[in-house]
Amino acid sequence: MKALWRIWARVTGLFRKNWRDREMAQEFESHLQMHIDDNIRAGMSPEQARREALVKFGGMEAAKESVRETSRLLWIDTAFRDMRYALRGLRLNPGFATTAVLSLTLGIGASVAIYTVADNLLLRPLPYPDARQLVMLYEMNPHRGFARNVISPANYFDWKSQSSSFSAIGGFFDFHVILGDGKRTEEKDAQAVSGEVLPALQVKPIRGRVFTMQEDKDDAHVAVISYRLWQEWFGCDESVIGRQLQVNSRPFTVIGVLPPDFYFNTRTSDVWLTLGLNPADNLRKTQGRWMWAVARLKSGVSLSHARAEMTGIGQRLEIAYPEFNKGWGVDVVPLRDSFVGQAKTSLMILLGAVTLLLYVACANVANLLLARYSVRRREMAVRGALGAGRGRLIRQLLTESVMLGLAGGIAGVVLACFAVSGLVALAPRDLTRSVQITFDLRIVVFAFLLSLVTSIIFGLAPAIMASRGNVNRGLHEESRTSTGGGTRMRSWLVALEIACSVALMAGAGLLFRTLVGLQNVDPGLDEHNVLTFRVTLPSQRYKEEQKRIDFFQQATEELNQLPGVRSASATSYLPLNGIGAGTGVKILGQPPAKPGEEFVATIRTVLPGYFHTMGIPLKRGRDFNAADDVQSSPHRFIVSEAFVRKYLSGEEPLGKQISAWMNKENPFGEIVGVVGDVSDKTLDSEPAPTVYYIHSHLSYGEMVFVLRAENDALALADPARKVIQGIDSELPVSQIRTMETVVRQTFASQQFSAVLLGGFSLASLLLAAIGVYGVLAYSVTQRTREIGVRIALGAEPLTITRMVVASGARMVMIGAAAGLAAALALSGLMKSLLFGIGARDPLTFIAAPAIFVVVALVAAYVPARRAARVSPMEALRTE
Amino acid sequence: MALMVLKTLEAMGPLHGYGIARRIEQISGDRLSLNYGSIYPALLRLEQERAIASEWGMSENNRKAKYYRLTAAGRKQLKQETADWEEASAIVARFLAAKESL
Repeated sequence: MKALWRIWARVTGLFRKNWRDREMAQEFESHLQMHIDDNIRAGMSPEQARREALVKFGGMEAAKESVRETSRLLWIDTAFRDMRYALRGLRLNPGFATTAVLSLTLGIGASVAIYTVADNLLLRPLPYPDARQLVMLYEMNPHRGFARNVISPANYFDWKSQSSSFSAIGGFFDFHVILGDGKRTEEKDAQAVSGEVLPALQVKPIRGRVFTMQEDKDDAHVAVISYRLWQEWFGCDESVIGRQLQVNSRPFTVIGVLPPDFYFNTRTSDVWLTLGLNPADNLRKTQGRWMWAVARLKSGVSLSHARAEMTGIGQRLEIAYPEFNKGWGVDVVPLRDSFVGQAKTSLMILLGAVTLLLYVACANVANLLLARYSVRRREMAVRGALGAGRGRLIRQLLTESVMLGLAGGIAGVVLACFAVSGLVALAPRDLTRSVQITFDLRIVVFAFLLSLVTSIIFGLAPAIMASRGNVNRGLHEESRTSTGGGTRMRSWLVALEIACSVALMAGAGLLFRTLVGLQNVDPGLDEHNVLTFRVTLPSQRYKEEQKRIDFFQQATEELNQLPGVRSASATSYLPLNGIGAGTGVKILGQPPAKPGEEFVATIRTVLPGYFHTMGIPLKRGRDFNAADDVQSSPHRFIVSEAFVRKYLSGEEPLGKQISAWMNKENPFGEIVGVVGDVSDKTLDSEPAPTVYYIHSHLSYGEMVFVLRAENDALALADPARKVIQGIDSELPVSQIRTMETVVRQTFASQQFSAVLLGGFSLASLLLAAIGVYGVLAYSVTQRTREIGVRIALGAEPLTITRMVVASGARMVMIGAAAGLAAALALSGLMKSLLFGIGARDPLTFIAAPAIFVVVALVAAYVPARRAARVSPMEALRTE
Repeated sequence: MALMVLKTLEAMGPLHGYGIARRIEQISGDRLSLNYGSIYPALLRLEQERAIASEWGMSENNRKAKYYRLTAAGRKQLKQETADWEEASAIVARFLAAKESL
């Protein structure tokens, strides 16, 4: 209570400074008068009386200051004064202020931008209640290199009945549907979910309800829609519940609307339907692995416990169903990890990179401050002589750096604001597919703290240094003659800058080399001038296989006729797109494989002309032709070279009979051709053995058309859409993109990191060059007289140049060596992003410091040349 | 110092800064010689704590002076601090006595 009153009195005291001072002066005056009166009464002369009273009172000014100090919050007062003073100082020296603020803007802006992305992806809780309890359940087959694999519905039901760690396990998968409401027909992303999924996520629909377990079991024709769809299609109409929607040409009843910010696994889903699996079906016989599972841990059950339990269940299932489960196990992964996936590595690297950049920026500003303070040493000495304590001096200097820091911080936040939207646009799909990225108050608070901390980091050392000066020496010192401790410290700072920059540059170099390597990988096809788009036939209206076969034949024929089209065809899945179907393959005449070692191949179904259109080379035999694309033709297959290499080990492939397990019946058929390899996922992944079906024998209703254009592929998009809708006006055409885009997407994450890291390392290169230049230019100015003497004594200009450059070279070399060592130690972390080169790629590790040394020496040469031109007469006169 | 000021005000009634300083010196039998100026920060602190209040008045020989007086809170504080001080000095005294008896 007492303390509170005192603080209150002091705060009010802030505003009544003048009144207080006057009152105090009056009080002291009356005190002295009374004392003098008493003294005179005691017999002193008035003169003597006054002196005695003053002596007895003690230091008048000290007492006043002490009262003042008691009367208000002194530090606020001084802080204001320091700030005014600092502002004045910075205004007087705009070059310094601008460089410092720009350095900090760059450092803080980059850090805040990357932190924003990392915060959203890695730190912020997912938008579900108790999101920590949510996990994904995956199957995995380490032996074959399948991690986080889709799961088998049969295993899913066994997990549900045998596990006790979870309060719910639900199955789902992402797909897309053709959605119509009578007025329009569009392709929309959809999610099929079992009855458990939405309750396990604890999402509360804002209108209506979610699926019941019974509806899931019956695969009822009910749909839950997104807030977005409710807005766009129904204008937020309250009567939406109970309305009909056409889903793939079948009527569904809308039963619920989910809240606006809800998403799960993908952010683009607009429709949720039931999964409708029946555990009574013999799913191990009829279905492979194709769906996902999410589960909620019972409260109190730890992740490791659940993982142990599921591993046990997986082992039991492996023994119980060897032909289906040999080699397969279960993995339990926290939901966030599964959403963020690969992006984590990129982000950690980028976080490390911005930290380095921030160090460089701080070191640069510290450097500038040191230079500035060394000029102000005399001012410091004067202040010291006038009674300013050392702490007081340091505080004054720190105020200045905090103001620089805050200015940089504010500019940095603005920069980051723009940078984040740029980052999101540039980011690889995986990074933003399942998590939303927003910029909010948290980030601003973070930026504020960051700028405070950085300003103390870069300000403290120079401030301590500057305040240390001996008063006497400081006053006497002629500013140009000494190179004191400040310069040594500045050299170390520059060396630090160089070390960080070299490390950054090495990282950027590795990624750029990877990128170049990836761009030079032969993708196995010619991706130029190829347009791709997807068409999905509604299963209801295209139930008969013949209808589907006819549609795609007719469409391909008509697309082939389009002006500007060289050739047209279609496939079930694009290569290099990360998705595809895989299945077991048998080869006639070979003994059946042991469980767990069956032949597995990627399956694509294609129309005639696919290889020609995509530029995939036909190595042997022939392509499919029109005669193959009829249901009555015998089964014929085309396989990839990897298939021949792996499963036929050098035997003559043509004429071999194989069977790929895709339909209910899979008769053996002849291999009629062999084509070059194309990867399914990324350019750097090994191409999987692939079997190509002709569409008539695996008549998917969803195909991706590929058109080879004479020149501009995208210009064909509109005419192609007209062709499709000319055949069936209700068919939406979706995912229109060029094959070049598809290929580029495969190295998007490397490109993303490389571009950013490249930008960071250029920025830090610039900062470090400024640092080298600054230190040397300053030391040349300081040594003007010495250099003048040397020249007067006959030193050649070349010798002088060499001397100055050499003094810079030392810090450059030390810095570069340290940076190289750090980079070598850290580059292992980037391994998973690299391709074609080792984490210690010699070229990168020679080039990065070499570039640096060259730039730094150029930066050193400029002041050195100036030194060589010093005229001795002028130099000696400067003092 | 705070305790001495409070005690003085209790004993003498409202008094100005000079008077308080003088009085403290006298009571201590001039053994405690203090800079009179140093009394003012102490007075201000007590005033901020609302233990004393001040107003301008006229001194015995017609000088304008600022008079300080004890408030109710000040009286309580004085009682408390007196008790504390007595206890503390008693403890110290006992320690010193104990040392001699060893």
